[in-house]
Amino acid sequence: MGEVVIRTEKLTKFYGRQRGVVDLNLEVLRGEVFGFLGPNGAGKTTTIRLLMDLIRPTRGRAEVLGMDTRTGSVEIRRRVGYLPGEPALYENLTGEELLQYVAHLRGGADWGYLRRLADRLDCDLSRRVKTLSRGNRQKIALLQAFFHRPELIIMDEPTSGLDPLVQHELHRLVREAGEEGTTFFISSHNLPEVEVMCDRVGIIREGSLAAVDEIEALKRKALRRLEIHFASPVPSEAFSGLPGVRDLSVEGKTLTCSVTGSVDALIKAASRFEVLNVTSPEVTLEEIFMEYYREGQNGMRGEGRA
Amino acid sequence: MLRNVFLKTLRDQRVSFFWWSAGVIALCLFVVAYYPSVTRTPGLTEFFEEAPDWVKAFVGESIEDYTSPAGYLHGELFYMMAPILFLIFAISRGSGAIAGEEGKGTLDLLLANPLPRWRVVLEKAASMAAATFCLGVVFWGALAAGASAVGMDIGLGPLASAVLSCVLTALLFGALALALGCLTGSRGRAVGVAAAMAVATFFLNSLGNVVSGLRLWRKLSPFYYYVEAQPLKNGLNGVHALVLLSAALALVALSVVFFQRRDVLV
Repeated sequence: MGEVVIRTEKLTKFYGRQRGVVDLNLEVLRGEVFGFLGPNGAGKTTTIRLLMDLIRPTRGRAEVLGMDTRTGSVEIRRRVGYLPGEPALYENLTGEELLQYVAHLRGGADWGYLRRLADRLDCDLSRRVKTLSRGNRQKIALLQAFFHRPELIIMDEPTSGLDPLVQHELHRLVREAGEEGTTFFISSHNLPEVEVMCDRVGIIREGSLAAVDEIEALKRKALRRLEIHFASPVPSEAFSGLPGVRDLSVEGKTLTCSVTGSVDALIKAASRFEVLNVTSPEVTLEEIFMEYYREGQNGMRGEGRA
Repeated sequence: MLRNVFLKTLRDQRVSFFWWSAGVIALCLFVVAYYPSVTRTPGLTEFFEEAPDWVKAFVGESIEDYTSPAGYLHGELFYMMAPILFLIFAISRGSGAIAGEEGKGTLDLLLANPLPRWRVVLEKAASMAAATFCLGVVFWGALAAGASAVGMDIGLGPLASAVLSCVLTALLFGALALALGCLTGSRGRAVGVAAAMAVATFFLNSLGNVVSGLRLWRKLSPFYYYVEAQPLKNGLNGVHALVLLSAALALVALSVVFFQRRDVLV
């Protein structure tokens, strides 16, 4: 650890007057699985395409593997695997032909390894791309990012279009490659997915980096919404004053609330009654961010008082 | 055929190339098959000799000997039909090279590989040139075979010269379309502007024959270097061919410069 694999310095991109990213300062270390989390339009794809030298910064600069993204582009691309967001493939080729082409452009491939990867993702290479579903196209795009065993893999929304089983297999692939020392930079708008795959996460919002944190710390601060259904009406006093619990409301047999951090106290309080069901309605990323900022501000205020 | 960008680009166009070849062969045979009946029509030469200059300008320069093999092929094929076909072929390939792949979104995938951008542009330009040249060979072969079948007295050399001039002119406009695609990233714009330039410069050259004020301006038109020296009669004019070739190469160089400094569109 310690070697910086991706570094951006005040990286800024405007498309005309439209914002891409603004003054992005980011460091990703070797061996990390770094999640780049943000809602759609936050600047995730812009950042990734800047790193790949597909677009050029308005201001600032970026380094990948110690090389400037502008001057070292070809060498960077030799050592980096890239999965574009919503990748477009050559429709007239079969999966196998497409990978042959990419392999030639990269000066060869280990086809045994490639076929093992294809099997794990359950990817049929014999069919023409134009006949494939979105998920199967995504698999081929994933293969072209992984097959040359790059030391850094940059992926833009890698699980979009994949069914849950394949998503799970991809998570395992990332974990395994991560354990072998491959560095990952993975953009996503899906917090649970980032929680599964990543060690550290950067949160981007409206073109700026809002926070960088260990995934464990994020989990501690992350907001969950819980709904508990009881067999009979429960008194709301039984749940007042629980740590981390907010927006509590009890209506007859149903309790709803928001929880940050551990749910332990709430569950223990609920266990005194007969619980029929516990559900957790999905929390939007925006709500998580709002909670994240609220927490941050509270923390600062607390320090100020102390 | 998937070894590099050059071969892959040719491979992608193999079906289209087959149909283009079929069309070009059919056209050549059709035009040549009419020649015997033209020579048997009395008074046709006189008719064209008496035609006003502006008619001659629009039907083709060497119209005075319309019933000679060279005059007939010039007027019926090389003056307008052949350049139109070859220009469409080259412009569609030139515009598709970068802007076409960009529009489909596959450029992100291609440029994820360790290839410098200039090399992608040059390989694509080379494949456009190779395909256009091959279509020229097909065109030449079909004409030569057809001409010998109907007993048309025209040499293989002059035919090759005329076809080569046509190919070079087409490559110039193909390179223009490539450059416009590299500049804007839009295939539609590249085709539109290149086609408009082709029509404008074609008429600049034709009108320059008749309107004395335009005479000098003709030299700005690629079509001046295509037909002025009458390659079908006189063989290839080295200087004119070189003008076309260097203009095409300059546009390819410009394409590299344009593409090198630009954002790839999503």
